[in-house]
Amino acid sequence: MQNVFQSRSKAKPTVYHLRDVVRDRASEGVTFRLRVPSLQITQGEKIALIGESGCGKSTLLDMLAFISQPTEAAAYRFRPELEDDAVDVARLWKKRDRNRLGDLRKRHIGYVMQTGGLLPYLSVRENMSLSRSVLGLGHDDTVGVLARELGIARHLDKRPDTLSVGERQRVAIGRALSHGPSIVIADEPTASVDPFAAEKIMSLFIGLAEERNITVVVASHAWRHIKRLDLRRLAHHTQRSKDGRTTETVVNG
Amino acid sequence: MRLLKTLKLATRDYGHEWQMSGCFVLALAAVLGPMLVLFGLKFGIVGGMLDQLIENPANREIRPIGSGRFDQGWFDAMRRRSDVAFLVPRTRSIAATIELSSAGAGRIVRAELIPSGHGDPLLPTDGPIPQGMQGIVLSPLAAEKLGVSEGDALRGSVTRQFGGRRQRVLLPLQVAGIAPPAAFGRDGAFADVALVEALEDYRDGRAVPAMGWTGDTRDEDRSYPGFRLYATSIYDVGNLSSDLIGQGIDIRTKAGDIQLVMRMDRNLSAIYWAIAIIGLVGFSLSLGASLWANVDRKRKELSVLRLVGFRTGDIVWFPVTQAFYTALFGWLLAAGIFFAAAYGINQMLAEQLATDQEVCVLLPQHFAMALVLTVGAAVLAAALAGWRSARIEPSDGLREI
Repeated sequence: MQNVFQSRSKAKPTVYHLRDVVRDRASEGVTFRLRVPSLQITQGEKIALIGESGCGKSTLLDMLAFISQPTEAAAYRFRPELEDDAVDVARLWKKRDRNRLGDLRKRHIGYVMQTGGLLPYLSVRENMSLSRSVLGLGHDDTVGVLARELGIARHLDKRPDTLSVGERQRVAIGRALSHGPSIVIADEPTASVDPFAAEKIMSLFIGLAEERNITVVVASHAWRHIKRLDLRRLAHHTQRSKDGRTTETVVNG
Repeated sequence: MRLLKTLKLATRDYGHEWQMSGCFVLALAAVLGPMLVLFGLKFGIVGGMLDQLIENPANREIRPIGSGRFDQGWFDAMRRRSDVAFLVPRTRSIAATIELSSAGAGRIVRAELIPSGHGDPLLPTDGPIPQGMQGIVLSPLAAEKLGVSEGDALRGSVTRQFGGRRQRVLLPLQVAGIAPPAAFGRDGAFADVALVEALEDYRDGRAVPAMGWTGDTRDEDRSYPGFRLYATSIYDVGNLSSDLIGQGIDIRTKAGDIQLVMRMDRNLSAIYWAIAIIGLVGFSLSLGASLWANVDRKRKELSVLRLVGFRTGDIVWFPVTQAFYTALFGWLLAAGIFFAAAYGINQMLAEQLATDQEVCVLLPQHFAMALVLTVGAAVLAAALAGWRSARIEPSDGLREI
């Protein structure tokens, strides 16, 4: 039997292996289906999912971050590190073992949300340290170093509502990286900022991930990022029914 | 560790949103406060009346009407009952009088003798009691007329017709104490049963060897025409009365007054509970709805916590902690509202009340019960809402941020 987790490279294991994974959504008479016949992401890869709004980018990212349950899945395995055993994510969802999925996410995944998702009652430092403290990691200079690299060191003791949108996104990136994850998932992290700031933030983000050999999956609607930052683009195809009530996106990669 | 982290985050969020938190606290206190005042009024008014009834021994007294024949066996049997607090025999009232004089007063006072003893409800519990053939407790009126106080000497005088001649004996007495004004309003002296019996024997022409008084020898067992009987509590009066009536004894009690207050207590309780249940239902619904809505509002932030790895149980603790704070502060504010209202009401009616009487009052256990109910309802509502929130896919909440 072929080991799917080493199909691409002996040195770089496959972090995600999805086969015939489907997620359906229905709202106000409109149905949406995301279909992933086959998707494999290897360790350290920088993946981009480019597409217009509503094409299912966020849905795929949510499934990769274990915060959204697939409707169907022939196979969905996750192996964050070479030394780890593959985890059958489809089975965990079937068992409704959200806590186990949460533990996997806590340990291995950082998530950057489109609008930051910072907790307003915590300072920038506390927001960035949140993932670390949940993991029980001690207080070292990790957050300070990250803040300096992200250019937000002077804001560490401020509340998020005193920062600009761009600065908040940097804090969100800092929070996603602070606990040393092996994968970072970013859902249009620069959607709310101007193109100049977006380019800067995205470069900074990919640069930091590169330095740390982190696997990145980023959703964006900006073409130029992929070209300039040399990201692997996931192929996808969206079909809409004539009456516009059914949309299906197929992602392969 | 994670639980502690959740509690700290919930506390930080509660403080950060102090205006919203304050509104929840105010909303809770606005319902709970008036309920406490209502219950305080019910408890104060009816409780005060019941206390007055209970504290006034006259309300526990069961008096025989007319004259009967009660022997020592009957008294012994009655004393063994747990609903009987005090029971002594009464002699014939015409024989239960004595003329008293003192060195300081130029007049003779004819006083009624009231058979008494240890545990007499009309006398203070820790005060002096009449003892033996000399120590008597005077009513305030008699003491005033005789110009005596506790410890003073008195002289008693009793006369009889015996053998066709009028005879008089004098006996030295001592004022053991002065009874409270409410105990006896006329000229009277509380005396040991033995002294009252001796005087009756003397008047009946019998010998009283203990006093050196000569006369006929008693050839039959003593029986008494009446008694002084006090029930243990006002609640025992009805049952005790029924038993006595069953024995063919005509009696008089304050059962009517007691029934009136007890009926009032029942009616007021029914009214109170009707209002309280309606209030409690409304209170629970408003508290539950507001906490539920608050958890729904917090779903986005709870989803972020879920995203960074907080477990289902941790997520539930977040709204539960905040609901606990709302319940605790709401209860404190409601207690404050109660104290302010009770002070105002009691002050307003102070002139019409006895010195230490309060119309609006609650006991510590009432506050404790209100706290337990409030915290219980709040925590339950928040836990249910938190559980529901924790079960929803985090992605649904995150999309709202």
